[in-house]
Amino acid sequence: MDLVQHGRPAATVDLPLAGAVTGRASSRAGRKGVAVSGRARDAVRADLAEVFRRDYQRVVGVAARVLGSRDEAEDVAQEVFLAFGRSAVPAGEAPGWLSVAAAHTALNLIRSGRRRASREETVAATAEVVAPDVAETVLTREDRSRVRAALAGLPRKQAVALVLRHSGLSYAEVATALDMSPGSVGTTVRRAEAALRKELIRHASSD
Amino acid sequence: MRHPTEGVLRRLLDEPAGVSEPDRAHVAGCPVCLAGLATARRDAAAVGTALQPAGEGTVDVPAAWHRLAGALPAGGAEPAPAPVRARARRARAVLRRPVVAAVAFAAVLAGAGTAAANDWLPVFRTEQLQPVSLDPADLVALPDLSAYGDIEVTGGDGPQQVPDAAAAAAQSGLDVPAVATLPRGVTGEPEYQVVGELGATFTFSADRAARAAAESGEPAPPPPAGLDGSQVRLVAGPGVAAIWRQSAGVPALVVGRAVAPTAYSSSGVPFETMRDYLLSLPGLPDDVAAQLRTFAADGSTLPLPVPSDRVTTSPAEVDSVPATVLETRDQALAAVLWVEDGVVTVVAGSLGPDEVLAVAEDLD
Repeated sequence: MDLVQHGRPAATVDLPLAGAVTGRASSRAGRKGVAVSGRARDAVRADLAEVFRRDYQRVVGVAARVLGSRDEAEDVAQEVFLAFGRSAVPAGEAPGWLSVAAAHTALNLIRSGRRRASREETVAATAEVVAPDVAETVLTREDRSRVRAALAGLPRKQAVALVLRHSGLSYAEVATALDMSPGSVGTTVRRAEAALRKELIRHASSD
Repeated sequence: MRHPTEGVLRRLLDEPAGVSEPDRAHVAGCPVCLAGLATARRDAAAVGTALQPAGEGTVDVPAAWHRLAGALPAGGAEPAPAPVRARARRARAVLRRPVVAAVAFAAVLAGAGTAAANDWLPVFRTEQLQPVSLDPADLVALPDLSAYGDIEVTGGDGPQQVPDAAAAAAQSGLDVPAVATLPRGVTGEPEYQVVGELGATFTFSADRAARAAAESGEPAPPPPAGLDGSQVRLVAGPGVAAIWRQSAGVPALVVGRAVAPTAYSSSGVPFETMRDYLLSLPGLPDDVAAQLRTFAADGSTLPLPVPSDRVTTSPAEVDSVPATVLETRDQALAAVLWVEDGVVTVVAGSLGPDEVLAVAEDLD
């Protein structure tokens, strides 16, 4: 919760979006993001409530895949929507922009080490999930945090593409959001998965 | 032909329709690509599991809005949105999991994803065309049947768009289901798609089966007389679907119908003999084997293997016919499927189970 309530809100969501969402949409998002932050106190876009209602759960879902915790994901989603409320991202590009923003903000959170111990993770630790995995690996909490750390260490585009795909965006949607060709989405996601899987196996065999 | 890239194999797992027909056909018959596909699937499943968030999946949207409004500059926020009206709306807002997309798509793909009825072959096809409609664990564990003989796939053209219901009916030879009352939130005219008959011929090879078994470290039981060289023919489709699209993601509503897969021996021993022998080979996990036997036992039901980590199933009835309702665990999507007179019908969409059932009951 405190992510939003103290410190400098919204406009400081480190618009990595600006850099990472590439192409037309993003250059616009980035430019406006900067321009708009100056008048952040008085302008909130008119369609915020509508977009919020439509996309909030999706944004939480994206962040939750990165963070593993829905509580933290909701904090991230709040941050993202605050930024969005002050942006001039075209309405049609909002879903992609929001998803990319959620992924970046969540990845930044992992890298910054600002994480707090999450209640769900503590609970989850007591009831390990058996992975539907051919190796019949039991994914421990350590495995999961290792994967998340590895995720944050991947090239940004790979990490974001992976998270968006696993959050249910289609290849076309991922391609549009990241300004990639749909054909390269599969390759990018595949590389990311291979790297993370290697991370899992490496530790499984060294345990 | 050259092997498709890893990226293409990866997409085949999620969006077979996004992969070109020549690539799909190549993969279906290429042991190297099938192995690559299996690896990609295993990696994807493991990573998907690792990224699964802990805890419940529910989000209190009104409360979250309240919180956001509090952080916005005074006067900048609109009044809180009306309580979220419902599952349908929330469902559309939520992330689209590929699962029901696959289920919906299954109808278009002439039952490839329905894994209906009486043998393992549709399951094998499913592995190639509709992987998400199987439990990832089962999928990966299912032996690559090309190790046991030759598979030749024919047909499966499409899906191809046609102008209207009449054209769809004429081309597919199926009655195109008409929806009397659209669920709330679904509007406009559907798009009609037709897919041709899909066939696969499997020729059993005793030599290859023995080699495959030897690799698993256990000897294969002796094959029944006459099995070597026996062929099984599986035919599914044609199929037709009416699709109400929305701006992005999974369609709002899909109503599809297809001739359910059937398998028969085209030469050699009876199909059941080959099936039972294959089921007895080392390398096939017990649970998969048991599941496959169940398929064979009752051709009138629709045993639909689903990824249980993402989808819940429940029994229902549609016009007194037993049906299966699927719902993604995040409640984003639901589908109902049933088989009647050898025809499988599916109603799916970003709706709730009650809504898809209502549409199903209402079909003409």
